[in-house]
Amino acid sequence: MVPLEDDDDEDRPNYTVTTDANGNPRYVYGEIEPVYDSDDSDAPANANTIGNIPLSYYDAYPHIGYDINGRRIARPAKGEALDSLLDSIDIPEGWTGLTDPATGKPLQLSAEELQVLKKLTQNDMPGDGYDPYPDMVEYFTGKGMEEVMPLSAAPEPKRRFVPSMHEHRRVMKMVKAIKEGRIQPYRPRTDEDREREEAEQEYATYDVWANEQPRPDHPMNVPAPKLPPPGYEESYHPPPEYLPDKDEKEAWEEQDEEDRTRDFLPQDHSALRKVPGYAQFVKEKFERCLDLYLAPRVRRSKLNIDPESLLPKLPDPSELKPFPTTCSTICRGHQGKVRTLAFDPTGRFIASGGDDGTVRIWDFTTGRQAWSVKLSKDEPVNAVAWRPGNDTCILTACCGENVHFIIPQGELCPPDQEARSREILDAGFGHAAAPTTASKTASGATKPSASTWSRPSSTLQSHGVLLTLTLRTTPKSLSWHRRGDYFATVSPSTTSISTAVAIHTLSKHATQHPFRRLKGLAQTACFHPTRPLFFLATRQRIRIYDLQQQKLEKELQPGARWISGISLHPLGSNLLVSSYDKRLLWHDLDLGLTPYKTLRYHSKAIRDVAFHPGGLPLFADASDDGSLQVFHGKVVSDEFENATVVPLKVLRGHRVVRELGVLSVGWHPREAWCASAGADGTVRIWM
Amino acid sequence: MGRIKKKGTSGNAKNYITRSQAVRKLQISLPDFRRLCIFKGIYPREPRSKKRVSKSATPSTTFYYTKDIQYLLHEPLLNKFRDQKALAKKISKALGRNEVSDAARLEKNLTPRLRLDHIIKERYPTFVDALRDLDDALSMLFLFANLPSTAEVPPRIIAKCQRLTLEFEHYLIRTHSLRKSFLSIKGIYYQATIRGQDILWLVPYRFVQRTGGDVDFRIMATFVDFYTTLLSFINFRLYTGIGLVYPPRLDAKSEEQGAELGAFQLESQGQSEASTAEEMVESGVNAKAQAEADRLLAVSEPEDTTLPPPGIDEPTDEQTTEGEPSSTALDTFAPIDPHADALLQPSLTADAQTAGQLFEAFTFFLSRETPRHPLEFILKAFGCKRVGWDTSLGEPGAYCGSEDDKCITHQIVDRPDIPLPSPPLTDGEADADDEDDGVFVRRHNERVPGRIYVQPQWVWDSVNAGQLQRPDLYAPGATLPPHLSPWVKPRKGEYDPTLSLAEQETVAEAEDEDVEDELEADQALNGASEGEEVEGVRGDKEARQLENELDEGDDLEGENGMDVELAASEDEDDAADKAEVDAVGEDWGGFSGDEDEVDALTRHNQSHQAELEAEALGRTVQSTPADPKKAAREAAQARRARAEKEAQEDVERRKMMMPRRKRKMYEKMVHSNARKDEEAEKLRGKRRKIEKAAVKRHGMA
Repeated sequence: MVPLEDDDDEDRPNYTVTTDANGNPRYVYGEIEPVYDSDDSDAPANANTIGNIPLSYYDAYPHIGYDINGRRIARPAKGEALDSLLDSIDIPEGWTGLTDPATGKPLQLSAEELQVLKKLTQNDMPGDGYDPYPDMVEYFTGKGMEEVMPLSAAPEPKRRFVPSMHEHRRVMKMVKAIKEGRIQPYRPRTDEDREREEAEQEYATYDVWANEQPRPDHPMNVPAPKLPPPGYEESYHPPPEYLPDKDEKEAWEEQDEEDRTRDFLPQDHSALRKVPGYAQFVKEKFERCLDLYLAPRVRRSKLNIDPESLLPKLPDPSELKPFPTTCSTICRGHQGKVRTLAFDPTGRFIASGGDDGTVRIWDFTTGRQAWSVKLSKDEPVNAVAWRPGNDTCILTACCGENVHFIIPQGELCPPDQEARSREILDAGFGHAAAPTTASKTASGATKPSASTWSRPSSTLQSHGVLLTLTLRTTPKSLSWHRRGDYFATVSPSTTSISTAVAIHTLSKHATQHPFRRLKGLAQTACFHPTRPLFFLATRQRIRIYDLQQQKLEKELQPGARWISGISLHPLGSNLLVSSYDKRLLWHDLDLGLTPYKTLRYHSKAIRDVAFHPGGLPLFADASDDGSLQVFHGKVVSDEFENATVVPLKVLRGHRVVRELGVLSVGWHPREAWCASAGADGTVRIWM
Repeated sequence: MGRIKKKGTSGNAKNYITRSQAVRKLQISLPDFRRLCIFKGIYPREPRSKKRVSKSATPSTTFYYTKDIQYLLHEPLLNKFRDQKALAKKISKALGRNEVSDAARLEKNLTPRLRLDHIIKERYPTFVDALRDLDDALSMLFLFANLPSTAEVPPRIIAKCQRLTLEFEHYLIRTHSLRKSFLSIKGIYYQATIRGQDILWLVPYRFVQRTGGDVDFRIMATFVDFYTTLLSFINFRLYTGIGLVYPPRLDAKSEEQGAELGAFQLESQGQSEASTAEEMVESGVNAKAQAEADRLLAVSEPEDTTLPPPGIDEPTDEQTTEGEPSSTALDTFAPIDPHADALLQPSLTADAQTAGQLFEAFTFFLSRETPRHPLEFILKAFGCKRVGWDTSLGEPGAYCGSEDDKCITHQIVDRPDIPLPSPPLTDGEADADDEDDGVFVRRHNERVPGRIYVQPQWVWDSVNAGQLQRPDLYAPGATLPPHLSPWVKPRKGEYDPTLSLAEQETVAEAEDEDVEDELEADQALNGASEGEEVEGVRGDKEARQLENELDEGDDLEGENGMDVELAASEDEDDAADKAEVDAVGEDWGGFSGDEDEVDALTRHNQSHQAELEAEALGRTVQSTPADPKKAAREAAQARRARAEKEAQEDVERRKMMMPRRKRKMYEKMVHSNARKDEEAEKLRGKRRKIEKAAVKRHGMA
């Protein structure tokens, strides 16, 4: 039974059958046992591999060589002398006293081995069953095992390198057969085949979008715009109002095809059967094709907003009131142009000067001429100005080279006021005598002083002209300091630049020329209302001088070609500049050197500009186009808020005479009324 | 600091290349480039700054995006083009050697076949993308389906286009996806909604298309090539989406006989089904949906008992029942105040259910003068199951054979008039045309009693309105109501022909009209004796002019008085001033201020003065006959004019404060708006005229 079982063991398959995940049988193979015992056992398992060298070479090392795997074979521990002595005393069985060179261990031999050794040394047979002369086993030689040497030195034959003649013959046979038509190389495609193929390809046989994946839109992808849907006018039977009348039809037919807004004429057909074919159909579709592949595309964002929302918000007109709207009074009397005008500080009268050399004073409310004086026969009055302050009534007028100081008589000036005025005018005569600077020229002649203060002729004195300042240049503008003691005149002449700007002291009858050299041609000047600053406008620049420190503080660059006038806001932080090149410039002195706003609403040169002096947020300008424009200009003391400028009103009325329109404009000191002097010889009062 | 950049090496200069550069880069000929661009959907661009893009001094016109061209470099079609070129060389060589059979063989065997499938997938990554771009494709294919075959357009292409378009129409009929349609002078517009995408296309009327000399059919053929591939894939997807086999079976014989839509047999994926009407009713309904429908029917039945059964009675009843198909349907919101904002509502035909029920209950017969194909298509798409037509229009409809069939409910005719058969019913005005129409067979020119005769427009108007229209308005011989486009959305301020004139005209216009009416009334009074002299309608302009004259007359009288008064005190300077004021061109008006009030005041003063003077002279004042109505109108006009002027001034003032660029933009917008307003005003004016004329004609009659 046992052998049977053994047989069973050997035949038993080296696997087990299990079921896998799918329920199918699965073979799990066991480990294969390699039976190494059957192999050659000559080679010892743990042999030293140092070869045929003495073991003493390794005396210096802790190992004695290497095994087959390259690992060091450790030297066996050598016992102490005592141990070896003990060993020698107690010699174990099989002790030889030798060392096995392969392992380095004491070589122990068994009794049989010793016996064999003994026999060998005695040249005896080592054992009983030993056959010293066994039969030779002829593995490779002998009968039937003669082997020819497989290697040969013969060179490669040529046939290895040329095409096979045999194959060639066979191919040629086939070629011949093909040529003769015995063999068909492929089935010829018949027309039927071709048609079938085409039919198969003609219609889709699969779903292209079977596994579609959306692609995010790329900004450079511009899909073609769709054609707009048809409107009412394209109907075959549109409402009658969509049909073109005769003129429209003619106009459409006359138009070039490309200019037409619509590529067809609306037509009415009373029934569907009457609708003809559309002749342009193919052409239209063709043009659409051309557009699709030929027209450059661009993405354009369409603005679909109410245009009203673009307009800026402006203050309500009712908030902006009052402002002058109509011409209430026209003052006629001047011969020729009226060059200048000025409201008196009380606001009851207007003084004006014109080409006829007269200064006239008008009653503001009625327009009646209250007073007048003729200052010169041939020279025009270039500027008039009232001395500021309610206590006096002094009018200055620049006529030719003279500056006249006038105290108008009559109802204009109550006696006490007149007395005070005379006092002020006469106060300087004592001073004037003493410091006359008698400078002399190189030639020794007394240089005539730049200014002389004197009494005018008696006729003039009788008319109220009590003092005359004679300059050697013609002053064109005059402006008072707020205290009424100083005033500045500007004579824009090119000959004497150093004397162009003069600052006069009324109480001392003194004149100074602060600018020895002035860049540019001086045009006009004014004083700052609160600070000791002096604004001087040359042709293109405006310089601001500090009068205390006597230095240039700022130079504004309005960008105008030729400044005609300036006006300073009563608060002193904003300056208006008018220019002959049709521009009106608003300078915010806190903001910078360039204008805050540039207004261009006049078609002709602007002659003059004026802020309302009494605190109303108004200003007006006078232009050669014969109109005045009134603006709302609100200045807030808060630095962070910009001024708001709103155009209010165009005042028309002055006639344009020889291309000159309105020459001067002035405001009532308190009310929203203004007056303008025109080249047509009138002074108009607007309220 | 880095290296100084060379000009033209980055940015826009690199992003765009000119067409010649592109052609050179691709190494193909210009026609090939064109084809490639059409297939691949590559188009020129408009660079933001042309100057910066072009490197040469001569201005180039066409720029392509460089990446587009780079992307073309890898196109497999390029190789096909090269193959074609090589083949052309081979053939020409063979022909040069006089080897004709070789050339023929080469052409037959080597011609490369262009497949555009991959391009479809590239250009339209999703199905919806493809649907979005279907407008042009359908218009083009419908055009080609209606073209005669010529040398440039081989019959194969035409047949293919016909087949694809018919397949597409079949899909629309099956799913009731057609939404709107419009008869225009160019052709018939259709709009369908598939997967939420609105597709609008135009089908020409069946006439021989005129092809001018300046139409290049090669370009169109390239487009058609691409579009046929696209539509074929779309049809496949659509058909398989609703469980039909694609391509549908085409009955060649019935197609030859002109069956058109009827030649196709749709098969669902399981079993075959014919496209005959009866079977179509059953098919396409799955059991589940049917059960659901039955359940719903059972629920709603007790309510239905009160209503008459649909389909048999008059169409007016039909309308009411159609109007409220279920409680879930949307109600219509009509704004009561015309000035209020109108919200957009989805139209009634917006869903397939209502669209599929519109003509469901009816049987139509198409007379032979009506366009058969569009009518058949649109009727079937809106739910009609039974459409028949005369045999002369092609293979008779599978449903009814002859005109006399009793179950026909509607007959669509397009003739001047058809008399009723019985003598008392005829109005005796049978036109001579009818005689011409009824030349052959029996009493063809008489109506068959028991059915509704309508003109074709009834179908279109019913479809667009989403409910059946009154058939008497569309009776044969009747003057049709205007056919309106369903796509025009009424916008505020624009002219809307559906509303009455009074609802949309501005105040000024209304008043002008009143004036005109009165004038005409006066005229009528004046001219009553000499009879009617007005040949047309007096235009607004004339009326206004006339009125102006009248006003001026009044003014003159007043002013004369004033002059007399003023001449003594004032010199002529004042007059000159006045002239000046008037003559000065208005650059900026400023505020109007209180001038008008002043004017009124002065006028009042003047009249008072005149009275005083007259009294002094011992005359009685010739007071103008005070017409209170007229005065009131004038006052209203003046008030309006003043308000307008003030508004204008305000706008001007605000405009002045805008920066120039913004102002320009504003002006442009205002200009375009003004143009629209002007157009609307013109239309209103025309309508007013027409209405007047109609009233007058009516009055005369």
